[in-house]
Amino acid sequence: MRELAWIGCVAILFGLLSFYATDHLGVFGAVNLAGGGLALVLALAIAARLMRRVAGPHARGVIARGLLGIAVALGLGVACERAAHWSELRTDWTFERRYELSPALAELLHEVPGLRILHFYDPADPRVRRTKLLIDELVRASGAQSVAYDVQSVPDEAERYGVNSSNTIVLQLGDDYEVVERPLEGAIYEAVYRLRKVKSGVIGLLRGEGEGDPERETAQGFGGLAAALATEGYELRSLVTLSLREVPAEIDAILAISPQRQIGERAEDALRRFLARGGALIALLEPGVDSGLETLLGEWGISAPDELVIDPAAGEGLGHEPEGVCPLAYNYETHAITRGLDRNRMTFFCGVRPFDLRKPEVDDELTAVVLSSPRAWRTSDRSRLTRPAPEPEGVERGYQAIAASGRYRRDGVETRIFAVGDSDFASNRYLRSLYNLDLIMNGVHWALARDPQIALRPKIRDTVQFPLPVQNSLELLYGVGLLVPELLLLAGGTLWLRQRAA
Amino acid sequence: MNALRALLRKELASLFGSPTAYLTLMLVALVTALIFFDHLRLYNQILFVYASSNMGGFDTDTIPDYVNLWDTVFFPVMETLGLTLIGAVPLLTMRAFAEERARGTDELLVTTSLSPGQIVVAKFAVAFLFVTAMMAVSFVYPASAIERGGLGAEHLAAVFLGLTLHGIGVASIGLACSAFTSSQLVAAVSGWAVAFVLWDFSWLQPFVGESAARTLELLSLHPRYGSFSEGIVALDNVAYFGALALVSMALARFSFDLRRVGS
Repeated sequence: MRELAWIGCVAILFGLLSFYATDHLGVFGAVNLAGGGLALVLALAIAARLMRRVAGPHARGVIARGLLGIAVALGLGVACERAAHWSELRTDWTFERRYELSPALAELLHEVPGLRILHFYDPADPRVRRTKLLIDELVRASGAQSVAYDVQSVPDEAERYGVNSSNTIVLQLGDDYEVVERPLEGAIYEAVYRLRKVKSGVIGLLRGEGEGDPERETAQGFGGLAAALATEGYELRSLVTLSLREVPAEIDAILAISPQRQIGERAEDALRRFLARGGALIALLEPGVDSGLETLLGEWGISAPDELVIDPAAGEGLGHEPEGVCPLAYNYETHAITRGLDRNRMTFFCGVRPFDLRKPEVDDELTAVVLSSPRAWRTSDRSRLTRPAPEPEGVERGYQAIAASGRYRRDGVETRIFAVGDSDFASNRYLRSLYNLDLIMNGVHWALARDPQIALRPKIRDTVQFPLPVQNSLELLYGVGLLVPELLLLAGGTLWLRQRAA
Repeated sequence: MNALRALLRKELASLFGSPTAYLTLMLVALVTALIFFDHLRLYNQILFVYASSNMGGFDTDTIPDYVNLWDTVFFPVMETLGLTLIGAVPLLTMRAFAEERARGTDELLVTTSLSPGQIVVAKFAVAFLFVTAMMAVSFVYPASAIERGGLGAEHLAAVFLGLTLHGIGVASIGLACSAFTSSQLVAAVSGWAVAFVLWDFSWLQPFVGESAARTLELLSLHPRYGSFSEGIVALDNVAYFGALALVSMALARFSFDLRRVGS
């Protein structure tokens, strides 16, 4: 009996090892598993027979009680596990709490009843595990239906949706669907937003005077911003300043991405009339430029002196710009635009023009929504943008307004202006950095009086792709990684020597 | 209660009074540090290849999403350590009951005021403590490396919690196997066999239906502790390992009954 059990254990062990080593059940593995299983069953049968022969009624009672104990333990264990499963209690220990849906997505999901989530995966793809967990959360938050397909086994379904890689999800709402190839929460949020097909408004984009290009996909372009605006339901229309006589009535807001030349008096007047009739303006400025927008903003109490903010708290820029010219802002005034932003949710700017605020009328509301650190100062020397220079003596330090908002009620209409002293922060290069996207999008929503849409968006990029310098890890390996085993070896060795001496 | 405390003290003293325990802890800590460093180095290497200027740099989407700390570092490290634990832990637990049985000292234990249940609890508790200590010393280097990278060690703590629970699960299996034999070799081999059977039932999938496959997956060790690598600490997974320990304890307790009736 014992020999049979031994043979069974060894055969099963080797059968399984061969399966795990080759990832398929070959003849060797199958024979070992079948033979081992048979040997174990035989051993158990012999043991049961022996027990019946040997054991008297008392012994049978003892054995029955023991078996009952095992059954109770098993039942209790299964019950606990099932209860824990149904309780759905789990905590998310990931870096960015990636399985806790952001309030923005959770809210959005409630607005799309009848959503279906189709997950196409390859069972061998390791990313599938976490996508499944994310889908579980989506289903829990929205009551959406989810279906998983092995991408190899349903080629027709995959072709129907244009899915050609594993770990792709398709979000379907009625006859419409969106394919998400990198199913992170941010990408899902954007896809759901597109499915909702909400019309948020029409934005006129000033063009023709060297403004930022919303069609350009390079680092300097603003294609990312245009895509984000389109995702959140805004229609973009180009307004060429040279031919601008009047802003069309269907335009709800004007977006000016740092014009590099004068927009001209006629365009300025058109914008003036547009604002006077309750239009909204989102102006992204740059230091060293006089486009005419600065004058217009000044008339509404937001003056932008031609200076540069130097914030020593910021350090060097990401592109190795001189120290202080790229402020990392974490001081926010309480305002709808900065809802959710705090000291840990920073925004990043590069080459910033400061604002001075002065109410034109007593009921106007002007707010410096984003501020530099209190160590910041201003300079009119723009060469500091590219060349490091020592700090002059006697500079006047203080919080500098990096972004400002104005709300004006005149003649029964309300005008809103959101101005930022930098445009690079919304360029493709920096848009997805920190909370820049949230700041610009919330600024747009606020300017168009769409406050309910103001939210912190889930990130589409993964923090776990940040590099961890090997040099640091190596230093720690020598410092900590080898120190702990060394101490343990010393303790063990000393103990052994003492025992030998005793 | 005093007898239980005395037994616990004796078990702890015999474990930590032996150089083997320190040697085991040292080897596990060293192996973990080296495996973790190697994966971290590989991760950085791949990341920098993709981030090199001709590939577009970090600001673009050129880095494939499978190049991340989870898939390139945490998950493979967890897989390797999980298998290492299956290999190593039954070697640590094989002595617990089998040696007492071979020497006949288990009879002496039963004649003390201790009940078989208390003996089982004491042996299991000491083994669990040792597994926890093993994972704690292994955690130090990976946690320092990740913390230094500014990412916070919480996710890694989830990985090591999963490994500790997995180690406790394997120790429970090893102890239950040790309770049924007087041979340490048989205890170790049967411990490995049972742990490998429970590791992952995917080998059975071609032969069973979908619902049976799903049930078998619920019983498997691998998907249970694997979900910790995602940074998710789910109560049902913790309960699974608790249930495994409970059933193993009941089995070990049953071995005393079998001894009593002389079979």
